[in-house]
Amino acid sequence: MVDLSVILAGFADAFTPINLMFVVCGVMLGQFVGAMPGIGPVMAMAIAIPFTFVIDPLPAIAFLVGINKGGLVGGAVPAILINTPGTPDAAATAMDGHPLAQQGKPEKATKMALYSSVTGDTFSDIVLVTISAPLALVALKMGPVEILALMVFAFSVIAGLVGKSISKGIIAAALGMLAATVGLDPEHATPRYYFGYFELFDGLSLAAVAIGMLAVAEILRRLASSKKGASATIDQPKDMTAADRRVSFAEYWACRFTMLRGAAIGTILGALPGVGSTAAAFMSYAATKKSSKDPDSFGKGNLQGIAAAESANSAVMGANLIPLLTLGIPGSVGAALIISAFVIHGIQPGPLLFEEQGRLVYGLFGAMIMANFANLFVGQLGLRLWSFVIRAPESVIFSTAILLCIAGVYLATGGVFGVIIMLMAAALGYVMTSFGFSPVIFIIAFFLGGRFEIALSQSLVLLDGNVLALINYPIALALFAIALITMVWMIWADRQKEL
Amino acid sequence: MNRIIAVACAAIMSIAGPALAQDWAPSGSVELQIGFGAGGETDTLGRVIAATMEEQTGWNVVPQNKPGGGGIAMFTGLLNADADGSVIAMGVSMPVLINLTLRGDQLPFDLDSFDYLGTVTRAQLAIIARDDAPFDDIASLVEYSKEQGGVPVAFDAKPQELMLMALNEQTGAGFKLVSTKSSAEMVQFVLGGQVQASFNAGTHIQYLEKGDVKMLASANADRHSYAQDVPTLQEQGYDLYTDPYFYFAAPKGLSDDAKSALAAALDAAIKSDKVQDVVTNVMQNSTNNLGPDGTKKMMEDGLESVGDLFN
Repeated sequence: MVDLSVILAGFADAFTPINLMFVVCGVMLGQFVGAMPGIGPVMAMAIAIPFTFVIDPLPAIAFLVGINKGGLVGGAVPAILINTPGTPDAAATAMDGHPLAQQGKPEKATKMALYSSVTGDTFSDIVLVTISAPLALVALKMGPVEILALMVFAFSVIAGLVGKSISKGIIAAALGMLAATVGLDPEHATPRYYFGYFELFDGLSLAAVAIGMLAVAEILRRLASSKKGASATIDQPKDMTAADRRVSFAEYWACRFTMLRGAAIGTILGALPGVGSTAAAFMSYAATKKSSKDPDSFGKGNLQGIAAAESANSAVMGANLIPLLTLGIPGSVGAALIISAFVIHGIQPGPLLFEEQGRLVYGLFGAMIMANFANLFVGQLGLRLWSFVIRAPESVIFSTAILLCIAGVYLATGGVFGVIIMLMAAALGYVMTSFGFSPVIFIIAFFLGGRFEIALSQSLVLLDGNVLALINYPIALALFAIALITMVWMIWADRQKEL
Repeated sequence: MNRIIAVACAAIMSIAGPALAQDWAPSGSVELQIGFGAGGETDTLGRVIAATMEEQTGWNVVPQNKPGGGGIAMFTGLLNADADGSVIAMGVSMPVLINLTLRGDQLPFDLDSFDYLGTVTRAQLAIIARDDAPFDDIASLVEYSKEQGGVPVAFDAKPQELMLMALNEQTGAGFKLVSTKSSAEMVQFVLGGQVQASFNAGTHIQYLEKGDVKMLASANADRHSYAQDVPTLQEQGYDLYTDPYFYFAAPKGLSDDAKSALAAALDAAIKSDKVQDVVTNVMQNSTNNLGPDGTKKMMEDGLESVGDLFN
């Protein structure tokens, strides 16, 4: 156990004006870049890392944490305001956030996202600071077989979002899975569906497909349906009351159980390397919708929907640091970038980190707490700016957005090839939506498909291809059972509703 | 008299030769392409080297990620780049050599398609197991695996898979090959008991110090700097090794001036304290620049030894 004096010294190191400045700058940069459709905080962190070499480890890491956390808040902004999520997890936020914005309440929607994001984030930070060591030991027990079972369970919950036509949902998911198989297969590195393009060896770029399908397709649709003349992107009626602009405490408090569930889902999935925030956001959303007394109000601007998605995907970030700090295992790209900042400064995350660098680790925790508060304050000011920007005509907003998407994908994928993939994904997304197939289901399947395949192939080797050998994996068996019960229960509940 | 002048001229020329080479400067910025995505080891090394070069030479050195197929996409693109010193590329030897061996006929390039400038360092690859495992070297691991009817062993790259397959063939160990995505994932599986042994390229060192894992062998041609007492696979009687290098190449046909100026600039950056520090931190290793000719030879020898692995 780390000495109390080390903990206090760490926090004392963190709470200095210079660190506060780095945190606030990081959060501002993160919120701004996160709000740019197609660019996002991961890109900002990757570019910022070499610059952190010249500053001390703590401010450097505080800056990166600020960018990452600011990005969580910023990412919700384009999803809500113009329905162009840049990442799959922000797509969950858009489901209720954008309808609410369209009702003339963009500020209310983005503020709800901000509050629930900070709430989920703070929850997972508290878990991280207090019980990360025992949680990491539990995470170690989760091998490939257990992760496979967990993903099946996640799929069974998310399946509740498929919508009215189950067959169209299954087709969209199957297409997403198919797209995930492009590239070298995870077991023997045999190229699949690469059509002679070596750029496809690593598979279709997630950034290109997600931005193309979710953001560019929507932009094209809006441009195609926009009328002549300069109409504001979102009409904000002049007679709006103050209550339409803000989230009252009663409204926030009404979402407390939703946010708690979202934060718990996000924290658990974040502590396990390799599942990620997309699964967390959609699981939380689906669970909230299913357990609601009025599930039909979801997708039409329900604050609970925004709270569910944002609390879960933000909780993942803090929890990602649990395997990172205790075991040296990054749970996401953002966490991997924080690792590289550590190692550049000669600090190797792993089992000795708390012993050797306890003071720095608690300094990092201090910086994370500061970043949460900074998010709240910077967000209060920043969101006003965005709801002002959104009064600009559609033609300005959407043409800027599409430029940013192209630039972002070009940067993320290292060239024009990624931009072409993005445009093809956009075309596919446009066609799918027009015929009633959900691009969001496609993206979830695409995103989780690759990881699912790895876990499946690892499990098959470990089990020797023998299903009965599952008897040795009680946690996996339990998860499979819960998944089965969930599916049966959902089908039964649907039947009841029809009767 | 004439003779003296001639000698003097020759002497001046011989001094001026390299000095002229140092005078070469790129006409615009130098693009340093990195064959992997942002945030990985190669990216970190590449970006620090770019920043150091810029600082030392005053050139504008711009790092650019060109991920895809372990560098194959980048080198394919490099074929069309101008050989004027405006583009250099950083890759890792193993994935390139493996692709050349496996599907050389489909690739638009071979080893002769590029000029080589130098290497940064070599990755140290170990075979590890949990500290309480009932074996201490490869022979006893093989024995244990036979007793148990085959134990799971993790790898994260093709050469490692091939080495395990070769071990299975030579010894009848019956290892079950578990494919993973990273060193970190392999440490996790070893600690969690999901696999009995695994390869590892550095994440394991802290666990070694703490006593959570032990090292069974070095999978390189030499022993590792941090574990001099652990013998290599070859020393243990298995003629298998892999030596992945981080290296620099440029489009073929670089002028001699440009080539030596770029190689010298890279060498100065690689030898700087800053890059040395980062290599120590990221790779637990020291820098090792083989120079233009040494790099070419390393790639040619490597292609031969990878070819042997596949046979």
